[in-house]
Amino acid sequence: MDRILIPDGVKRCSFPIFSLWILVLLGVIGWGIAAGAAVLIKALNLTGLNDYFGFGAYITADLAIIALGAGAFFSGFLYYGLSKFFPSLKELGKIINLAVVVGFVCYTGALAVLLLEIGQPLRGWFGYWHANVHSMLTEVIFCITCYAIVLVIEYVPLVLENRKVSESKPMAILAHSMHDVMAIFALTGTFLSFFHQGSLGGVAGVCFARPFAFREGLFIWPWTFFLFILSAISSGPAFTALICKAMEIVTRKRLVDRTVYELIGKIEGGLLSFYMILKLADTANWAFNMSPRFGLKLTDYYWGPYGLWLLIAEVGICGVLPALILISPKARKSSFLLFGAFLLDIIGVSINRFVMTIQAIAAPVMPFDKWQVYVPSVYEVAPVLAMLAYCALVISLSYRYMPLFPRETELNR
Amino acid sequence: MQFAAGAVGGTLLTPLPWKLADDSAVWSQNWSWRPSPERGEITKVPSVCTLCAGGCGIQARLVNGNRAILIEGNPANPVNEGSVCALAASALQFLYAPYRVTQPLKQTKKRGDKTGFQAISWEQAQTELSKKLEEIRGEGPHTVACITSSRRSSMDDLWAQFFNAYGSPNLFKMPSECDASKSAAQLTTGNSSTFAFDLENAGYVLSFGANLLDGCAAPSRASGALRRWKKDRYPVKIVQVESRASITASKADVFLPINPGTEAALAMGIAHLMVNGANYDAYFVKNNVFGFEDWTDSNGKKHQGFKSLVSSSAYTPEQVAKITGLEPAKVRELAKEFASQPKALAVWGTGRADVSNNTYHELVFVALNALKGNLKPGGLIGLAPKAPLSELSAQKDILSENSSQQPRLDLAKSQNCPCPQNGLYGFLDAVSSGPKYPIKLLMVHEANPAHCLPENKLFAAAAEKVPTLVSFSSFMDETALQSDYILPDHMALERFDDVIGIPGAPYGYYAVSAPIIKPLLDTKHTGEVLMKVASTLGGTVASSIPWKSYEDFLKFRVEGIAKAKAGAVIDKPIEISSIKAGDPVTSNYSDAADLFKKLKAGLCWHDAPSAVTFDKTTSGKLELACQSIGKNAQSSDDVIYLPHFAPLKPSGSESEWPLLLVSYSSPRVSCGYLANTPFMNKLIPDSMLAGDELFIDLNPQTAASLGIAQGDQVKIKTTQGEAGAKANITPAARPGVLYIPRGMGHKAYDEYIGNKGVNACQLMEVQLDPVSGMGTVWATRAQLRRV
Amino acid sequence: MSEKGHAQSNIRLGMVIDLDKCTGCGACSAACQAENNISFRPDESNKLRSISWMYIYQLDNKKDYPDYKIAYLPRPCMHCDADHHSPCTFVCPVNATTRDENNGIVTHIYPRCIGCRYCMVACPYHARSFNWWDPTWPKPMTSMLSPEVSPRMRGVVEKCTFCHHRYNKARAKAYVDGTDPNKATYNPACADACPTKAITFGNLLDEKSEVAKLSKDPRAFRVLEKLQTKPKVYYLSKQDWIRNLADNSLT
Repeated sequence: MDRILIPDGVKRCSFPIFSLWILVLLGVIGWGIAAGAAVLIKALNLTGLNDYFGFGAYITADLAIIALGAGAFFSGFLYYGLSKFFPSLKELGKIINLAVVVGFVCYTGALAVLLLEIGQPLRGWFGYWHANVHSMLTEVIFCITCYAIVLVIEYVPLVLENRKVSESKPMAILAHSMHDVMAIFALTGTFLSFFHQGSLGGVAGVCFARPFAFREGLFIWPWTFFLFILSAISSGPAFTALICKAMEIVTRKRLVDRTVYELIGKIEGGLLSFYMILKLADTANWAFNMSPRFGLKLTDYYWGPYGLWLLIAEVGICGVLPALILISPKARKSSFLLFGAFLLDIIGVSINRFVMTIQAIAAPVMPFDKWQVYVPSVYEVAPVLAMLAYCALVISLSYRYMPLFPRETELNR
Repeated sequence: MQFAAGAVGGTLLTPLPWKLADDSAVWSQNWSWRPSPERGEITKVPSVCTLCAGGCGIQARLVNGNRAILIEGNPANPVNEGSVCALAASALQFLYAPYRVTQPLKQTKKRGDKTGFQAISWEQAQTELSKKLEEIRGEGPHTVACITSSRRSSMDDLWAQFFNAYGSPNLFKMPSECDASKSAAQLTTGNSSTFAFDLENAGYVLSFGANLLDGCAAPSRASGALRRWKKDRYPVKIVQVESRASITASKADVFLPINPGTEAALAMGIAHLMVNGANYDAYFVKNNVFGFEDWTDSNGKKHQGFKSLVSSSAYTPEQVAKITGLEPAKVRELAKEFASQPKALAVWGTGRADVSNNTYHELVFVALNALKGNLKPGGLIGLAPKAPLSELSAQKDILSENSSQQPRLDLAKSQNCPCPQNGLYGFLDAVSSGPKYPIKLLMVHEANPAHCLPENKLFAAAAEKVPTLVSFSSFMDETALQSDYILPDHMALERFDDVIGIPGAPYGYYAVSAPIIKPLLDTKHTGEVLMKVASTLGGTVASSIPWKSYEDFLKFRVEGIAKAKAGAVIDKPIEISSIKAGDPVTSNYSDAADLFKKLKAGLCWHDAPSAVTFDKTTSGKLELACQSIGKNAQSSDDVIYLPHFAPLKPSGSESEWPLLLVSYSSPRVSCGYLANTPFMNKLIPDSMLAGDELFIDLNPQTAASLGIAQGDQVKIKTTQGEAGAKANITPAARPGVLYIPRGMGHKAYDEYIGNKGVNACQLMEVQLDPVSGMGTVWATRAQLRRV
Repeated sequence: MSEKGHAQSNIRLGMVIDLDKCTGCGACSAACQAENNISFRPDESNKLRSISWMYIYQLDNKKDYPDYKIAYLPRPCMHCDADHHSPCTFVCPVNATTRDENNGIVTHIYPRCIGCRYCMVACPYHARSFNWWDPTWPKPMTSMLSPEVSPRMRGVVEKCTFCHHRYNKARAKAYVDGTDPNKATYNPACADACPTKAITFGNLLDEKSEVAKLSKDPRAFRVLEKLQTKPKVYYLSKQDWIRNLADNSLT
């Protein structure tokens, strides 16, 4: 039925099955939109947020998804920027389209959820108009907006490559010329996303009255600025690779060469190891140098559901362990270990975003303050799930109708 | 596709989206449903607060003279010196309360049915009330009764005047801590006054359960005293004796935890050591106290004196320790300290301002202070002086003369109380259980006994037997809801009223509370309703109440002060506590009109404290052996004349009811006639209320033994009733004792006030004091279990 | 520019609260609510969603009965004087909350606030409340709203302003009277209300003011001094256990 839209030489599942899948996704999205609309109309009292937990599920999900979406800019940076100097990075071209799609959906999805998060969405644009140059959030607002535009620009040529669309000559020309300049956008995007990823880290790190989150740093940026960038680039490509693997399983096809996974594994292994070294140093400095100055010890930050297990999980099981696996060429050969490490890696980064958002404010600062526990309401869960469904939807559509994987035809011959 | 792209691009180039974005933001800043308060000239109007008995000066801020926006303290007033309490600060929430009664109402359906109230005119309301009163008067005026507020104002005297002229003895006041003080003063000094405490000038304060900072009868004055005690140099040592680690206990320098209700035993123990150690004011006692030594009555019969009683083995430190739960050494240490401190004052209370105390215990504390010499002229305890207001005297006709043969209903049942006082409990009890004569009409003024009278079911039972119940409440409270007629009074800030003295204050005090704003609703001053009804009834009733307006009535009362040329108006801030008994206070007003003008402008009148006089007693001395108790006494035991520890046993057996329930008051919860305001609801801690669930405080030890964890749903059962609640485990509670806050659990009002927790009054047991016949409340036997 | 990184005037409005005198009666908080048109809801028992500019914390000495003692700590906005920025003004993306360097008051512009709540996250004192609902009043009670303080809309953050509308009035009055507006004094509603006069307010930089003297009292301390937030609200207490609760300590 939709054969005419499907790229040449690839096989796709039957339209009814695809429709069913899309319907499921649309159902989740509809649920999320309904919940989001309710929040916009009836205000934020529907959420589990309160005066203690100013930030909650929306922000955590946004931070995590933006970190994981970083695969887009970082793969782009490696492919468009560095492959001239390191030819082996050319391999990434085989997955770069997917990386762009993942980045695109993650960012646009995050922006939509961000709209719900603020109490006065109609005035959201005051961030541009009355910008406070000192605020990390201002940095975030500007960078995310710019980068989302860049991602749209990066995504457009992919759309234009659709068989039907490229039949139109001007579109084909546009697509071609856009591809030529893509390197420039990729590099602009890289800068912007490095910067805003860092700013997101800064959001937590500059809260100098929140000992859990506060970090000293370099010039105006706290260490979290740099750690967030590093953690994003050491997990984003892994996320792209995992999605690719998931697609391979679902479609029962090979979409990229295994060498691509191993290359990503190698890159991530290196980055993650570097990140973990810095993270451990940062944690040690925070726990044993900064906190005592504030009269706090490490155990003061952990209580009840927000126990020390979070630190062990984030830094140990989902940090050092995948780093060790990924830097070992032998371990990378095992699919179980390779993808297992990818999974741990992204879980670790998600925990990091959770901890820097929720735990940072759950931990009481005043000695007579009490721990509180945050439980998100369905009005927070639904839009977040809808955002994930939206990601899946765009990826599914993109895969079905666009030539995402240059090697797909060959690999499945 | 191209079209769509073009359209998007094109639209973005027009000003439209930007204009829309801007407009929507502007709209979000000016939502029509966000109220925008009307602007205008802001003025200040001074007045005096009558929400409680504390007598604070206030000033209201008005916009355009017709909209009150804030109640502040009046810095010119010596009691509160510019401060306000949480209740006064939120007073406007009573004025603008949605649950106010907007006009006279008549119940047309069953009592308590909100939908049955029919609006009637004042004309009709007053006519129907007058008619009923007229009818009843013909059959016997004594069958009309009234319950009024315990606050001291000229309204009391107007009610008394009306009842005297009309011919009914059945006028009752809501119970108050002052009732017991009045009994004790009557018995020991022969004066019908209350004891007054020079808190501000004390050098050492030993408080036997006085809830000075936990919502006492005169909170502002207590706060002012605390400020003076906590001065930087030589702060005053405060010792708090009670069972709960209350706010007062925490602010005190020493907290002495004792079993609930055993304060008087400790006081006896201290007296024992003072007497045995000859460490008391022997000169004062010898010359001014009767009954310290063994004494002989008019019949020549010899009786035991206080000295021999207190020094007996019943009150040794060991014995007292056993009763109170303190260490004997602590008792000795405390006695030594109290005896040796030069300006030591013992104050006392039941921990609640709204109920009377055990008279014998009241006498014990008087005795302890007497031993300390505090009752001598210039001492720390005096008698509350009275403002010389014009006296009222009712003219009587044949009907009122005849009915004066009828006994007051609480006395008719013959409780054999030797020193009967305002016996509201006796009255309610009598009405509900076959009285000597029926009550045909019951009026309730500025009181809400259906909710805030301990053992409030007594009121409900009595009300059932009364065919006509009339409420004068400004608010749709629990009592008003049960009434047949509501003749709404103005809210306190809309009417003339006055404050006659401050409970427990040694100086004379009188203030007029002038309205700050014109009445907002179709309400009428209850005083003026009485005047109108009196004039309709005509005859001596009308001539006894000749005034046309309540303001005229107050003017008349103030004339008395002017005639006596007593006291002075305070027109500049003064340290009122520096005036000693007998100090001259020169009057600074020219005549009654001038005085009233000044009082109306929010200034208060004051006079020097008065020393305790003993000339009215039989012996001409302070009577520690209260001879008048013996009048109706059935027992011939000498101890009945003397101050002693005489706890009233709560009903129920200890084995069945292993715990004690004690109620406490919080300054953040209004527990009298006035319900809490929404502002005050914000102050209620989440350890007291969660949603509509009230917390009951219990000690961790008690909780452990009952298997109860923090926040558990529990069921409390007392000998009086049961209720569901939540458990709050706190070391503020004494092991084995449960604590419940008062003032919660309203059923009437609106969604902001009603249905919050449990009403403590429905769980507490009232016991009648054998001397005064008044209800006392201290502890109730209880069970608690997790559900 | 001073060494603190911002232009400093010689006015720094601040407050001293004597915790030994505070009885936790709530008068300050109620007066604050009335003065500042603070909205309320039928159920205010969830303190995490209850708007309160002057919240009264209950402290306890963690001991068992009968050594158990409580104290109250009223907490207005601390109007932090940290170098460069207060924790909250530093992070506001839209300049809705800023510190007025003329007097040190941390202000909040409701119509500009976008409700991102970053300032609440940054504030360790929980001094800020969010309007989770559309504020509504029972109809007759709209009559008691003060025209001097604008009611807030839903979705914005609000907090104690040291009653700066009163300050503006005091300055305007001084100007009209021909006296120096910079010497104008006033009291916020809470300080006026306090029955034990535990709250003292004034210019911390005016050596002669009561508040300046008390802030240098040996009993004076601030909450969380170790974080360098430099609050302009000081507390007084003689009791060690209360003072020890002011800041975290490793012992």
